[in-house]
Amino acid sequence: MIPFIDNQIEDSAIFNTIAFHLQDCVNCREQLEIERRTITVIRALLTRSCCETAPTTLQEQIAHELHRLELEQLAGFTQTEIIRSYRRTEITIDGETQIEIETSHEIRRDFPPLN
Amino acid sequence: MSSRPKSEKPELTVSEPASGGALVRVDRDKESAAERSKRFERDALQYMNQLYAAALRYTRNPDDAQDLVQDTYAKAYTSFHQFEPGTNLKAWLYRVLTTTFINTYRKDQRRPQTSDNEAEDWQLASAASHTSDQGKSAEDVALENLPDSDIKRALHEIPEEFRIAVYLADVEGFSYKEIAEIVDVPAGTVMSRLHRGRKQLREKLTEYARELGYVKGGKA
Repeated sequence: MIPFIDNQIEDSAIFNTIAFHLQDCVNCREQLEIERRTITVIRALLTRSCCETAPTTLQEQIAHELHRLELEQLAGFTQTEIIRSYRRTEITIDGETQIEIETSHEIRRDFPPLN
Repeated sequence: MSSRPKSEKPELTVSEPASGGALVRVDRDKESAAERSKRFERDALQYMNQLYAAALRYTRNPDDAQDLVQDTYAKAYTSFHQFEPGTNLKAWLYRVLTTTFINTYRKDQRRPQTSDNEAEDWQLASAASHTSDQGKSAEDVALENLPDSDIKRALHEIPEEFRIAVYLADVEGFSYKEIAEIVDVPAGTVMSRLHRGRKQLREKLTEYARELGYVKGGKA
């Protein structure tokens, strides 16, 4: 019955069978009306309340990201830059402190696969 | 829409106009990245508000919803060359949204997909239908007086798979077939989730209306 109300029955033979039955059967018609009313009310309530707009910050972020992605596509590769810093602290027995900082700088370019 | 034999893959496809106007022929092979960018901006960005509203229902939290929409647009953009112009862009975007949500944001992965009380749901449903008669329209009015926040709260409280089905059908107007593709389940499952989701939603809303005194316990 629900697919009938939702207008989702593609087979016209089945649709017609149901429609004809409804002409004769009061019980089914009443049942159908109750279901239909439930669905109509729910649809009205949901569409009324679920209509938020995307915040401007989101719109800006997306515009920014799409622009970045476009540049990557134009350049033909995606580039990721990874900078790692390692800091090692050593304290010797006589209280001297030694600090070593090691930095690695990695640029990774991924080229799209050849067709 | 005319049908083409499956074996034929035309290079020229017709793109639907974003907002009226003449149809534009799109040749995806010859289209430059810049042109595709423009086409994406013209056609896909207009759905941002709707995708955001849907994302709010999926994630139930504005920060995650924003991240989800951003991820969706990034993914959609990078795979836009795969989208066939002239086909249903909105459904395609919703599929990206839903798949991204399921793979990345959905938290409770181990919750069972279907409730064990399936038989109970059906019994409750038929009981409710039989006992209501004249009181129904007064109840409908009571529900319509509920504030938006209560409606959203009720929607967020029903199981996720029902919530998504109800949202896609009753707010966005997708067909069962489209929803089946978006969520990647059979159409029969969509129908079942839709039916049970609507019933649970209505029961919750009726409960809220009773709490607020909009509806008396017995017949109105």
